[in-house]
Amino acid sequence: MAECPVCSGDVELEEDTVVGELLSCPDCGSELEVLEVDPAALGEAPETEEDWGE
Amino acid sequence: MKVGFLHSLIRKDEKLLLDEFRKRDGVELEMLDDRKLIFDLQRRPDVDVVLERCINHSRAMHGLRLMESVGIPCINTSEVARICGDKILTSLALKEADVAQPELRIAFTEQSALDAIEELGYPVVLKPAVGSWGRLLSKVNDREAAESILEHKAILGSYHHSIFYVQKYVEKQSRDIRSFVVGDECIAAIYRTSEHWITNTALGGVATGCPVYDELADISLRAAKAVGGGVVAIDVFETADGLLVNEVNYTMEFKNSIHTTGVNIPAKIVDYVLGRSA
Repeated sequence: MAECPVCSGDVELEEDTVVGELLSCPDCGSELEVLEVDPAALGEAPETEEDWGE
Repeated sequence: MKVGFLHSLIRKDEKLLLDEFRKRDGVELEMLDDRKLIFDLQRRPDVDVVLERCINHSRAMHGLRLMESVGIPCINTSEVARICGDKILTSLALKEADVAQPELRIAFTEQSALDAIEELGYPVVLKPAVGSWGRLLSKVNDREAAESILEHKAILGSYHHSIFYVQKYVEKQSRDIRSFVVGDECIAAIYRTSEHWITNTALGGVATGCPVYDELADISLRAAKAVGGGVVAIDVFETADGLLVNEVNYTMEFKNSIHTTGVNIPAKIVDYVLGRSA
């Protein structure tokens, strides 16, 4: 379990969660990035940059 | 075998690839986060092969070139990234390989871009040379709109927005095709359907299955080869005169296409990567 940095709600992490993974907060819907898995820590996902894409 | 996974954020596509690597015996993953890497032109990461899954084009292209410089085979190569990341270079590669594409013009000033648009005839699509996910595309229907958009791009954009890539608008009956090429095989394809003129699934286009028929496989494989081959996704327009290649994507997204096509796309990519190690 980790705390959403936006709304402080609880966010559950799956067992196979990896650092860098994107998640959505189930309470506020914010897009989050997993910063650490043990102990779990979340940050707000970065904004889209100009050269992002496929 | 040790696989370097060059990445930044881990999206659903990357997660599917990681899951697939973990199913394979004898494969060890080394996570290479492009936000933490430091290169000194000498040190070689202890990996046998690198799969690139960055989100930033510039980091992907330079990261791959740096990995190649210390002798690591990379998927895709930095040259594929360089060509596919720039629509002008992609169009040149397609032209040099005789792969059909929509008519286009390239110009470097507002006035020459306006002249180019008038020469092509309305409507046209203005695209940034570097960009993806259907962002900052403009469908230009008349001269007034052209003048306005060109002025905005020149004044508000960074310098590379003043390199104008102008493509003749192709009427595509509300859909285009995304095909997936891995090595020498066109493994799958989807139709992307939308009421909007941009059919990109990142902007709400709906994916449905598309058979990989001979003409589609042929143009997809020739487009992939034209940009240097590897693991690429081809955007294709259907026209009365045949298929046209719109774009080639080198860090392809496939999460919405596995169920739709019934093809295990990440497994195909992993097979290809494991077959390319040093």
